[in-house]
Amino acid sequence: MADADTVKSLNGLLNGIAQKVYYNKSEITEDLLKNELYPDLSPEEFHALHEKMKSLVKSIASADMDQAQLEAFLTAQTRKQGGSGGVSSEQAAALSRFWKSHRARIRESLAGQSRWEPGLRGLSWRVDLQTASSRGEPSGNAVALVELELGRQGEVVIQHCFCDIISTSSLPVCTSTSDSDFVCLEFDEGKVNQVLKKMAEIQESIDSIVNKS
Amino acid sequence: MPGLESSYGVDSTVENIGRLPPDVFAETCQQILAHLQGQSSVVDLPKICDIFQRAGIDLEWKALQSIIRLLSSNFRTAAKNNLTADQLVARLGEGSRHWAKAVLQVVHQLWSEHGSLIHTYQEAHAMANIGQMVDMQWKLGMAVSSDTCRSLNSPYVSLLLKVADTSGEVSYKSFEMTIPQFQNFHSQFKDISAALETV
Repeated sequence: MADADTVKSLNGLLNGIAQKVYYNKSEITEDLLKNELYPDLSPEEFHALHEKMKSLVKSIASADMDQAQLEAFLTAQTRKQGGSGGVSSEQAAALSRFWKSHRARIRESLAGQSRWEPGLRGLSWRVDLQTASSRGEPSGNAVALVELELGRQGEVVIQHCFCDIISTSSLPVCTSTSDSDFVCLEFDEGKVNQVLKKMAEIQESIDSIVNKS
Repeated sequence: MPGLESSYGVDSTVENIGRLPPDVFAETCQQILAHLQGQSSVVDLPKICDIFQRAGIDLEWKALQSIIRLLSSNFRTAAKNNLTADQLVARLGEGSRHWAKAVLQVVHQLWSEHGSLIHTYQEAHAMANIGQMVDMQWKLGMAVSSDTCRSLNSPYVSLLLKVADTSGEVSYKSFEMTIPQFQNFHSQFKDISAALETV
């Protein structure tokens, strides 16, 4: 029989683990979670619960389990006996719900963590028209100025009040954490076409991989 | 003088210049001036090397670089300050007593011809450090796994841009994009293309 409070606490715990481990919210400490969610448990009991849930979440995330894999995994966990104990059916259900709603965001976070090259933070452009030239070139040459903002991706979650962690999952917001490198480039029509040609090649390559898999 | 290798001082570079056949020197200057006037996005180092080799001049790579940097830096400063040919020659003389008369004459003639055009061009481009993309290479990669995730399977597009800045120096910029980011990037360039066409 699923106790509404138990379910709520479990959801909150898993949410809190995600916030700390994947969404960079370092203010979420074990103590905080215990005091808010499981005030009646002893510190040792809570620690055991916290570690078990964290380890399960990490395993699921690391393997990027799909529905079938997750079910098999959780079933195996519920059957487990022994020192650390298995997973209760409520906990399994909570984990299943948790993974369904957090999978995409956690994967994005993991992919971002493994990205060490600068990423593209922003792109802005404008088109200028050359109206006159001292060399008597034909005027009316259009030129595009493109500004690329490059930098290491960093994820910083905006502060939400804690009750959000229990009720809903707050969306992590990507903001810059390191200085951006601004690259400003000039392109004429010919250059833009060259770039478009290369991009078409890239897209072809992407399509061929998608089709293969 | 800023930007010179410590192994080749101004005087020795000026002396090297003095030993060049006048037409080789003139051609070298032309290459540099062409770049400053916006006719080419980089100073064509290989081309200049070629000119030297065909003339049978055997000069160490670093020495050649020093010559180009010295000339380039002086021309750029002259453009920025809108110096006349006389003023440029005077300035060169202040930097080193070793300038050969014939060399200075060539400089004077070339600057009289091109100086004001270069000044105008450089002024227009001084607003922002606008570079030119000389080349773009791409790579489609797949991050398979990492220490935090065994089953990452995250495709990405990596671009390497060869960029020439307003001083002609080449630098490389590389960055990664996720597939959706790349598609957005692609569609923005399509917008740019459309905008260029309608203008």
